[in-house]
Amino acid sequence: MRGCLTIQKVGIPSALYYFYYHPLWRCFFAELGLEPIFSPPTNQEILARGLSSCVDGACLPVKAYVGHCQTLAEQGLELLFIPEIISLFKGEYICPNFMGLRDLVKQYLPPSIRLLSPVLDARKGRGAVSRAYWHMGREFALLPKVKRAWRRAVSEQQTFVLAQQAQLAESSSSKRLNILLLGPRYLVDDQFLNGNLSEKLGLLDARVFTAAQLADVVSWNANSMLSKRLFWTGARRSIGALEHLTKRLDGVITMAPFGCGAESLLGTVIDQRIKANHLGKLELNIDEHTSELGMLTRLEAFCDLLERKKVL
Amino acid sequence: MKVTFPHLGNAYIPLEALLQGLGHEPVTPPLGSKNTLEWGSRHSPEDTCLPFKIVLGNMLEGLNLGADCIYMLGGWGPCRLGYYGEIQRIILEDLGKDAEFITLEVPKGNYSLAWERLRKIFGPAKAGKFFGGCLLFWAKLKVLEEMETLALKTRPRERQKGSTSKLLQQQLKRLQDLQSMQGIEKMRLASKEAFRDLTDSSLPTEILRIGLLGEVYTVVEPFANLQIEERLGYLGVEVVRTISLKAWIEDHIFKNALGLYNLKKLKSSAKGYLRGFIGGHGLESVARSVDLAREGFGGIIHILPLSCMPEIVAQGILPEVSTKEKIPILSLVVDEHSGETGFQTRLEAFVDLLQRRQQTLCPTKKKVYT
Repeated sequence: MRGCLTIQKVGIPSALYYFYYHPLWRCFFAELGLEPIFSPPTNQEILARGLSSCVDGACLPVKAYVGHCQTLAEQGLELLFIPEIISLFKGEYICPNFMGLRDLVKQYLPPSIRLLSPVLDARKGRGAVSRAYWHMGREFALLPKVKRAWRRAVSEQQTFVLAQQAQLAESSSSKRLNILLLGPRYLVDDQFLNGNLSEKLGLLDARVFTAAQLADVVSWNANSMLSKRLFWTGARRSIGALEHLTKRLDGVITMAPFGCGAESLLGTVIDQRIKANHLGKLELNIDEHTSELGMLTRLEAFCDLLERKKVL
Repeated sequence: MKVTFPHLGNAYIPLEALLQGLGHEPVTPPLGSKNTLEWGSRHSPEDTCLPFKIVLGNMLEGLNLGADCIYMLGGWGPCRLGYYGEIQRIILEDLGKDAEFITLEVPKGNYSLAWERLRKIFGPAKAGKFFGGCLLFWAKLKVLEEMETLALKTRPRERQKGSTSKLLQQQLKRLQDLQSMQGIEKMRLASKEAFRDLTDSSLPTEILRIGLLGEVYTVVEPFANLQIEERLGYLGVEVVRTISLKAWIEDHIFKNALGLYNLKKLKSSAKGYLRGFIGGHGLESVARSVDLAREGFGGIIHILPLSCMPEIVAQGILPEVSTKEKIPILSLVVDEHSGETGFQTRLEAFVDLLQRRQQTLCPTKKKVYT
């Protein structure tokens, strides 16, 4: 592959962990001399494609992911980046559905497509994740170049993360309600799958906090206070955000894809906190049959209730 | 302490022996029933899986029988089972149940709590009695497995319908009361004879074999899988269960805790389909289906609870295994709304299909109908 004159293109589906790591991936591949091609944001066509092929037990974001991969394959890309993420932090896992994602997606794609899938497993010790990326990059460039690309990509990612965390400090007292939106980011940030939730909340004059606005340190501390530590990264971040922001909140909205395993258990832990602090809570379970209008009604009702509670 | 624990198949028989050895009084909850499930699902979060709900029901029934302590398995992910104990503890606490909740798991971090737990578990134990209890536990577990396997073999070949299940129940009852190693050994030999007596020797030795695999709880617990083994047996199918309690306890509990659990063999079987561990029994499901296909099984039934995370991935990959290895696979999803009749119809259709398929593939074999 090395020494090709034309720039090789690599397709990256804009779903699931794209929402966490897109600056990293974009920069890393660009620095390696490849052209990263992202699939368009989720739309009806992409989702329909995923729904028609993916196994029906999978959750909505996974189905959308399959749709994204197929869209990229149809664009004629021969190389797809589908990382196999097992763990992002020591002693933690992400959803088991994503561990076999590569093998699940593989059968829905034409066999000519090559998959780039480094195994990212932070449980294997410090540096295991970077080494996995380096190993993948060695195919396209020499090691020093790969390492340089990796350093740049990491600093890009850092800027992105810090920019998000800076949103927390912004003062916007003009909004009437403060709402914490919890849930996996590939649902909370995907405007199509969640039916434009954050914009709707904005129109209802609510300020939305998310778990991404907090540093991991905060949630690690909160997690260690639990009687049993949560071992899913997403769940740990959610509980951390709830603990940290409780005093500033009026209500909490939890959002989960239908059938999401981790979120169903997390709900009980969140309920405990919410009851203790007398907050309002709205639970949204999203699947392919969720209607945007029905959701709007529920959001309006929820915000009305919160406001009434505030006056009392 | 009066200790109760959730059911997992017939594991209560060896567990009782172990608890007695530890100096506790075991309070075995009644076997899974509609009542268990109703109670369990009333207090469970809506989208947890079926095992969670049945287990919670078991706990509530055990507490009703006067238990003051609950033992539950734990773990550290990625399967949800690891956090079940904690959630169930919170739920029971909210219900105002005043019971000690002990999660059995490898301690990570909180060592004082782990020490406290160990003291509670081993507190009343006396060395000699404990040792005896362990031996009994293992012996009973082994005999139990053996009898269950025998029953699976005998059922499709029995002369009188229902006699195998009846015998199995009788033997299990006897096993529960046995307190000596000699007695267990004697019983093992006797039951071997008894099962042989039930067999109709006029039937051909080779009959349709179906492998049963999937999520461990739904495979092992007859209440969760609507007695699938019995149903298939009556349809004239020899069921081979790839998951055994004994192996599960050896591999996933002891070896895993010591870090000795080796996935090499499974990974090599699943090569080309699944690269590695995906939590729970996902890798096993894929690897074992490949093995069974190569061993010449007639078909495979993959059973999983709704929203089981690792098995969904396996369910997604199994169609590929089915096409490439040329073996029919039926994935059955169970939850609290599974209807018996619909279940039976699907099994009958699947078995019909397999029998016809086997006839076309190898017409020399005699067709077996019961």
